[in-house]
Amino acid sequence: MKLPTGFEIHEFDDGEIIVREGDESREMFIIRTGSVEVLKHVAGHEVTLTILERGSFFGEMSLLEGLPRSATVRARGNASLAVLRPGSLLVQLRRDPTFAFELLQQMSRRVRELNDQLVFKVATAEFGNRLARSSFMLSAAGEYGAVGPEKKSGEDGHGG
Amino acid sequence: MRTSVQEDRLLVVSDIHMGNLLHRPRKAFSQFVQFAFENRYSVCLNGDGIDIAQLSMSQLNADLSPSLPLLSRFRSVGRSVYYTVGNHDIALEHFLSDVGGMQVVPFLNVRSGDRRIRVEHGHMYDEMFLKHPWLYFQIMSIGKLAIGVSPGVYDALHRFMVGMLGMVEGVPRFFRRKVGTEELEAPPGIPGERQCFGLAAQSVGLRGFDVVTFGHTHIPGKVEFEFGTTYFNTGAWFAGPWCLAIHRGNTWFGPVADLTTDGDPFPIDGGDASGELGS
Repeated sequence: MKLPTGFEIHEFDDGEIIVREGDESREMFIIRTGSVEVLKHVAGHEVTLTILERGSFFGEMSLLEGLPRSATVRARGNASLAVLRPGSLLVQLRRDPTFAFELLQQMSRRVRELNDQLVFKVATAEFGNRLARSSFMLSAAGEYGAVGPEKKSGEDGHGG
Repeated sequence: MRTSVQEDRLLVVSDIHMGNLLHRPRKAFSQFVQFAFENRYSVCLNGDGIDIAQLSMSQLNADLSPSLPLLSRFRSVGRSVYYTVGNHDIALEHFLSDVGGMQVVPFLNVRSGDRRIRVEHGHMYDEMFLKHPWLYFQIMSIGKLAIGVSPGVYDALHRFMVGMLGMVEGVPRFFRRKVGTEELEAPPGIPGERQCFGLAAQSVGLRGFDVVTFGHTHIPGKVEFEFGTTYFNTGAWFAGPWCLAIHRGNTWFGPVADLTTDGDPFPIDGGDASGELGS
């Protein structure tokens, strides 16, 4: 099959590892058919970060930053991927400017999602802290008999 | 800006050039919009819909007024009108969002049925536009003057410019092939189109699209690439306009006249305009 310069097509079987966390490879991948799951090992456990469907990109972080792979990517079912080698990126950006646009769009979406997750985590942590602080204060106050839950007048027969 | 959408039924046309004095098929365009509305299609005007680069305001008023009221009703029945920006209306890039019920986008990734379809004007792959934008806009200005003289003068100038471009790109290619730095076999593309468009359609198609649709070249045609992507060009409304009809991932490609006279290639039972099939 004759393809535009810089592109290769690779086929992967279900469960096959495409890139492994810590690898030094630099290719970028575009999902032509099928889907993949992105995994990370955290404290000995395998955590699925996301599932990427047809048309999505991955591997661009290693390609752009020259750093080892930050996560493992595994095929879910049979997947066909277009592979872009490091030396072909600039040619591809020049040949297909909307590729750069979509790459930025995808990275922008990821930053937004991470921000949302961060805000949620900070808010949850803050709520947890406040809850812990309140319960501590209440229990401390209860211990000294200074403050108790307000009771309606006459509720327990003691009145004011 | 939403560039990825889901559409069951979509009609794509390109290069209507409303507002250009050369644009004549005013009635055909309003019939097309009427057809789309009655047959529950969303519509994508794939670039150069309004010819801002060679605009006559009085012509634009006359071209747009018959179809605008109907175009503005699509949203009320749950369907969309998309407008992808082209080179003659590049000023509309300032309005990349929802404008008066119309979604202005740089390109559109459509999911229909289980297929992914890319709709884009295609000027971003025109080597002349990319390498020499100033010269490109100067030529468009000269074209506007030529239209003012007569449509015949413009046509002659346009043919001359396309011939010149072919020569400018063809001569270096001839020598590159002679010295072996370029392959002898031309990449697949629509006959008459410059090579940059076929290559671009391949490159975009490899990104997981079953169908790639461009306009811009004014040359309607269809090519199937070896790796499974089909490339369409829907031509222009100066001559006989063509259209790509999409229904749940299936495609029909042909002249707009066939569509409006022969009827819907994907008929829906009880095809009234108020259905909720759109996005």
